[in-house]
Amino acid sequence: MFRLQESKVLAVDMTGDAVKAKNGSMVAYDGEMAFKKLSGGGEGLRGMVTRRITGEQMTVMEVKGHGTCWFADRASEINLVGLQGDKLYVESSNFLAADAGLRTGTSFTGTRGASQGNGLFTTTVEGHGQVAIMSDGPAVVLRVSAQYPLTVDPGAYVAHQGNLRQSFQSGVTFRTLFGEGGGEAFQIRFEGDGLVYVQPSERNTIAGDV
Amino acid sequence: MSTVHHDPVTLPADDNVNAYTFCVELKGSQWFLQKGKMIAYYGTIDFNGVGHGRLDHLTRTSFHSPLHASDWVVAEGSGKMLLADRAFDVNSYDLEDGNLTIRSGNLLAFQPSLALKQSIVPGFLTLLGTGKFVAASNGPVVFMEPPIRVDPQALVGWADCPSPCHHYDHGYMTGLLGGLRAMTGLGGASGEEHQFEFAGAGTVLLQSSEALLAEQAVGAPPQQAGVPGGGASGGQGGRSGAPGLPGQLGDLQRRFGL
Repeated sequence: MFRLQESKVLAVDMTGDAVKAKNGSMVAYDGEMAFKKLSGGGEGLRGMVTRRITGEQMTVMEVKGHGTCWFADRASEINLVGLQGDKLYVESSNFLAADAGLRTGTSFTGTRGASQGNGLFTTTVEGHGQVAIMSDGPAVVLRVSAQYPLTVDPGAYVAHQGNLRQSFQSGVTFRTLFGEGGGEAFQIRFEGDGLVYVQPSERNTIAGDV
Repeated sequence: MSTVHHDPVTLPADDNVNAYTFCVELKGSQWFLQKGKMIAYYGTIDFNGVGHGRLDHLTRTSFHSPLHASDWVVAEGSGKMLLADRAFDVNSYDLEDGNLTIRSGNLLAFQPSLALKQSIVPGFLTLLGTGKFVAASNGPVVFMEPPIRVDPQALVGWADCPSPCHHYDHGYMTGLLGGLRAMTGLGGASGEEHQFEFAGAGTVLLQSSEALLAEQAVGAPPQQAGVPGGGASGGQGGRSGAPGLPGQLGDLQRRFGL
C-alpha cells in the first residue's frame, strides 16, 4: 500500500509483500524489513544485459517484510501512479518505487530520448499495482485524447502511460541559426489516449538554448 | 498530490495550475514569453523570435529591450500552454495603467498590451500599461511598503515608482580598519552590510529566499554618456551604474585619495 507523507516522502505499508525501489532510497522503516539488491533490476539475465547495452541503467533493491518503510530521494517531489494492466514509460532517473508484482523492462524511445539527453531507451513498468515516480517540482498530469493531442518540451517530460503515439517535432529553421529561433526548437507530440506527466522545470537538454 | 488529470477543458485560463505551473489560454492572441519556459501545450501554437519580420508591428509597440530580444519569443495561436521555471513559484499579476520594474530573470511572460522597457537600473526590466504578466520567484512573493531596506538577493521588483538606492552600513565602512575588514572579511562580516533602500510611495516585491534566478548575460546598454551601465566614462572616477562590492581595492584607493 503506497501513500505519500507530505509530497516528498513515500510510505509503503507491507504485510509480507515486497516492493522494488531505487537503491539507497530508504530513509526509515519500522517492523521487520529485508533489503536485497536486485542485479539488473530484477529483470533476469536478459534484462541485465539489455540495460547494460542500452545504458538505461537502474539499480534497484527489493524490500520485503512486515511494517512500514519510508522512501525519499534528494527531496524530489513524488507522484503516485496506479496501473491497471497498462504500461508506464518513465525515465530510469525518475523511477522511485513499484509494487514487486509489476514487470519492469526497457523500451526504445527513438529521437525523443535523444533530444532529452537521456539516451535512446526508457524504462517501462507494466501490470497491476502502484508506482512512485519522482519529478523536480510536483508533476502536472495531462490527459491526451483523440481531440486533444499534446505537445511537450523534452526537458519537462517525466513519464507517460496509456496508448500513446509520440512523434518528434523540430522547429529548427534557418532563423535558428541566426539566433532568432522560437526557443522551443524540439518538441514531442503525443497523440492517442493516455496520460503524460510533465514537471515544472526543464532539464538541460541539447535544445535548451536553441 | 497530483492525481488530478488535466485536459484543455479543466485547465484554468490564465491562472495557476499549481504553485509552480501557470496556464495561459491563447485564442488567436499573442503572448511574449521568455525562451524555454513553455513545458507543454494543447492546440496549435507557434513560437517565433521577436525579430521575426511578421512581428515587426508588435515588437515596435510592446518590446523595447534590444538587449533581451534574443531571450524572448512570441507565442501565438490557439490552445492552452503551460509555463514553468525550475520548479520556482510562479504567479501572475495584473497591471492597470501602471508600472512595475522586475529583475529580468524573474519575468516569464506578459501580454502584448503591456510594453516592456529596459530599466535604467541595469539587469531590470520595466513593464508599462495594462495587462497580465507572469513572474517566478524562489518562494512566495511578499509585498512591502517603502520606506524599506531589502537584501539585494531577495529583491524581485518594485511597482509604482518608489525610488531605489544603495545603502551601506556606515560604521562598517569608516576608517582604515573598516576598509580592511570590508576587503578581507577579517574581523567578522555579517554579509548584510549592503542593502537596497526604497523611499517614496509604491510597493516592493520580495521573494522569501536569497536564491537568484539565473540571468542571461545580455551585454551592456549603448555606450553613451549618462547611460548607467553604458560603460562610457562619466565625470570623475569613471564608474557609473552599480557600485562595486565594498572591499574592492578601487574603493579603498578612492577613499584615501590615492
